[in-house]
Amino acid sequence: MTESVLKRIARGDARAVAACIDEFGNLIWALARRLSRTRADAEDAVQEIFTDLWRSAGRFDPAQGSEKVFITTIARRRLIDRMRRSAHQPGGEPIETLDAVGWAEPGTRGEVCAEAERAARAVARLRPEQQKVLELAILQGLTHSEIAALTGMPLGTVKTNMRRGLIQVRELMNVVVDEAAGGVQS
Amino acid sequence: MNTAILKYERLADLLVKQTTEGLVRAEKEELNQLLARHHDADPELLERVAAAIVLAGDLDDEALPTALRQRVEIEGRRLVAAKAPTVTEIRPPRRDERPTRTAVSQWTWLALAASVLLAVVGWWPRLRDAVNPATEPQVAATQEPAPVSEPPALTAAEKRQMLLAKGAVVQSPWTATGDPLAPSVTGDVVWDNETQTGYLRFSGLTANDPDQSQYQLWIFDATQDDRFPIDGGVFDVPAGETEVVIPIQAKLNVNAPAMFAVTAEKPGGVVVSEREHIVALAKVAAS
Repeated sequence: MTESVLKRIARGDARAVAACIDEFGNLIWALARRLSRTRADAEDAVQEIFTDLWRSAGRFDPAQGSEKVFITTIARRRLIDRMRRSAHQPGGEPIETLDAVGWAEPGTRGEVCAEAERAARAVARLRPEQQKVLELAILQGLTHSEIAALTGMPLGTVKTNMRRGLIQVRELMNVVVDEAAGGVQS
Repeated sequence: MNTAILKYERLADLLVKQTTEGLVRAEKEELNQLLARHHDADPELLERVAAAIVLAGDLDDEALPTALRQRVEIEGRRLVAAKAPTVTEIRPPRRDERPTRTAVSQWTWLALAASVLLAVVGWWPRLRDAVNPATEPQVAATQEPAPVSEPPALTAAEKRQMLLAKGAVVQSPWTATGDPLAPSVTGDVVWDNETQTGYLRFSGLTANDPDQSQYQLWIFDATQDDRFPIDGGVFDVPAGETEVVIPIQAKLNVNAPAMFAVTAEKPGGVVVSEREHIVALAKVAAS
């Protein structure tokens, strides 16, 4: 079995750096562009994310998920931190124009990992208001207050939907796995 | 991996907020304290869910710009190559007041070797005069340097005092966490960001058996994720000592220390602490 690129990085194999960028560079760039105010901000963010990645590759545990999820987790953490520090809207766009970003249809993205496929199916089972707050928060980087302002939901309702939605997705992801194992998944 | 832990309201609120919009410093500290109490909680559970959701979303398909890629790769090769030795070279630091043969570090050996070399170089003219000109110079190098007035090595306590005298260093007192290993710990941590050196001073920290457990320092950096503090090295507290001073051995560069924490871990330390025994904390006052 081929050793994972993160494991190679963790043990100091500098040749794995290029392989890692080849495999995940476009993903990190897409995430940075999505959640950064300007292209220059996105470029700074990408460098910070990769620095985090080189330093924390040793924490990757395949039992907890794929490399893609691990790297996306690190990237989101850094991007959220930058957004909080800059206190700007992601992409600098007015909130009203952000609706263009949304969910891909489950099964339509050939390159996504298994967790993403399960997450897509799980999100599709949520109530519409839960889907909406997760979309605005996770895909578009809006704060709870911004989501409340945009949707007209009370802030407490936004928080409740966020929390329940995330927990349900986690639980439904397991259900989707069980269904797949049982052969009943559509 | 399950979501049962999320029944704790405040813990769940903070984990959700961390996942969706990030936490301010006070919230991060509160989360760390809650995680210390609920060590079965998975602090990254919801973040991994969010990551999977992001990957399920409709991401743009634009290639990483070439110039940016080159910068990332150059920096990556430098950092990854540099970290190779530190991954395999985690050595338990011992109190350097009385280094033992088994506990002494490679750097201490190097320092000793260097001091012997310096001493030999300094004495060389006198030694040369004293020996037969035909004698190989290596013979002189084997002379016992001890009788000559070699300056005594500074203790960790003395080095700590020198660091304090330098000024512009972080100095924060320890706070007991109620852990039975340190019910009334006192002392402080001194850290100099410029030289990346520092010392821990403790009174009231229970002596440990290095074969059973060791203490480990963690440094929380304000510029880094709080869930993954920097390993500050493992150390022992010998029995019968009223006060110990221990040099910090940070495994990574510390940019902005926000808090120092000491945990009790298995011998040799751990990569990620379960935080079952947080024995002392020292918060750095906001500047």
